Amino acid sequence: MATNTADGESILLVDDNPTNLQVLYQCLEGVGCKLLIAKNGEMAISIAAKALPDLILLDIMMPGIDGYEVCRRLKSDPKTADIPVIFLSALGETGDKVKGLQLGAVDYITKPFQPDEVIARVNTHLTIHRLKQEIEQRKDELEHELEVVSAVQRRLLPKQLPVIGGFQLAVRYETSRYAGGDYYDLIGLADNCWGFLMADAEGHSTPAAVLMAMTCALFRAYPKAASDPAQVLHYLNEHLCKVADPSFITALYAVYDAGRQTVKVARAGHPLPMIYHAAEKKAEELACPGVFPMGIEPYEDPIPVAEAQLQPGDRLLLYTDGLTERFNEPGEAYGEQRLLQQLGTDVGDDPQEVLAAIIDDVQRFAGAHPADDDQALLLGIVS
Amino acid sequence: MEITRKEENGVVFIAISGRLDADSSPEADKVVKEVLEGPTDRLLFDLGQLEYLSSAGLRVLLSAAKEMKRRGGKLVLCSLNAFVKEIFEVSGFQSLIDITDSVEAGVAKLA
Repeated sequence: MATNTADGESILLVDDNPTNLQVLYQCLEGVGCKLLIAKNGEMAISIAAKALPDLILLDIMMPGIDGYEVCRRLKSDPKTADIPVIFLSALGETGDKVKGLQLGAVDYITKPFQPDEVIARVNTHLTIHRLKQEIEQRKDELEHELEVVSAVQRRLLPKQLPVIGGFQLAVRYETSRYAGGDYYDLIGLADNCWGFLMADAEGHSTPAAVLMAMTCALFRAYPKAASDPAQVLHYLNEHLCKVADPSFITALYAVYDAGRQTVKVARAGHPLPMIYHAAEKKAEELACPGVFPMGIEPYEDPIPVAEAQLQPGDRLLLYTDGLTERFNEPGEAYGEQRLLQQLGTDVGDDPQEVLAAIIDDVQRFAGAHPADDDQALLLGIVS
Repeated sequence: MEITRKEENGVVFIAISGRLDADSSPEADKVVKEVLEGPTDRLLFDLGQLEYLSSAGLRVLLSAAKEMKRRGGKLVLCSLNAFVKEIFEVSGFQSLIDITDSVEAGVAKLA
């Protein structure tokens, strides 16, 4: 019977009756665990806290604190709460068993017991306990790996925003309960032009993070000046098609000409950019036909490029769908209309303030409902 | 999300209702993969009762479309509500996957 027990495991036997203890001890000698003994409740709690056994066989009727109370205290101490407890008692009524199990015991054996039955149950619970510990350990390892991935992902984002004359920038990157694949980047081009990339790798956790990192590496290795939005998306897609299956990456690439105050945009499956026109006090999506997301298949048709003329006070917002697909408790999405309205709300001309107001509004809308996806926002205001 | 499937005259019908999002798409993906293990080369998705579709859901449909293309089969999405249809338009997926207004039109398209 010792075949499925691991080295170094121990079982604590608790009974106030020396004869019972001896019988139990002899019965379990063969399971291959170290056997510890406690003659009363106090001793049991103290030994359990020190030795942290892998299983406890606990008598119920004992002088001083009884088995139920011992179990209750073990379960309320985080150190001992996970140790499985089997009650071993002459109390054979259903009510007694239910009470024991409700206190958190894993099993209940009625005395007088059959040694084979005790051995079988002990082995079963030791195995369950061992598997549970293995799962916990794997979970901790995975969580640690994800934290590392998230940290790397963070480092891929631009450390600071460029200073562009006549165009004030702000950015927000809100993470969700899953690590997502949002990515944004900004680069300086010739002739006072600037490139803004906003991308979102479908999925969560490591797979999305890998695609996000690939997109980042490809974009930064772009062999020419990234001043033609359609060419940039063509290039990214060509390379992402080799690696993304079965996932995909939505993206939007905008080139802002700070001298002429114009913006050119190409879009691959990504939410449309939004523009707030200060003179008309009107926010709208920039009509931009676009192509399907990157990483699926090569683009055979030319990628359309939309252009817009901005004026002082105008706001340009690029974002990922984690923002508009933020849900509230009844299951309603924040949506583009609310975002447009909020983008046009007068909170001054500091882009940080405008973004903070948007985040606050989304937060207020979602209430206690957690974010399922990352949210990236990049806002520029013409001054 | 609810997902059901049936086969009629060589066409596999998959009906998805409710929300196809990050939480429910693994289940939908499993059903679709099971269907694709068979030799089927005509697949119809009835999305008439689909209320919401996230990018994770798009991936499930895209995987099926790619597989059907690979095996020279046909796939069609039918009866999308206005909201779901807009997702396909904005995301550009309507240029990758055939979409029809009704199941009847979908069946005709697969013929």
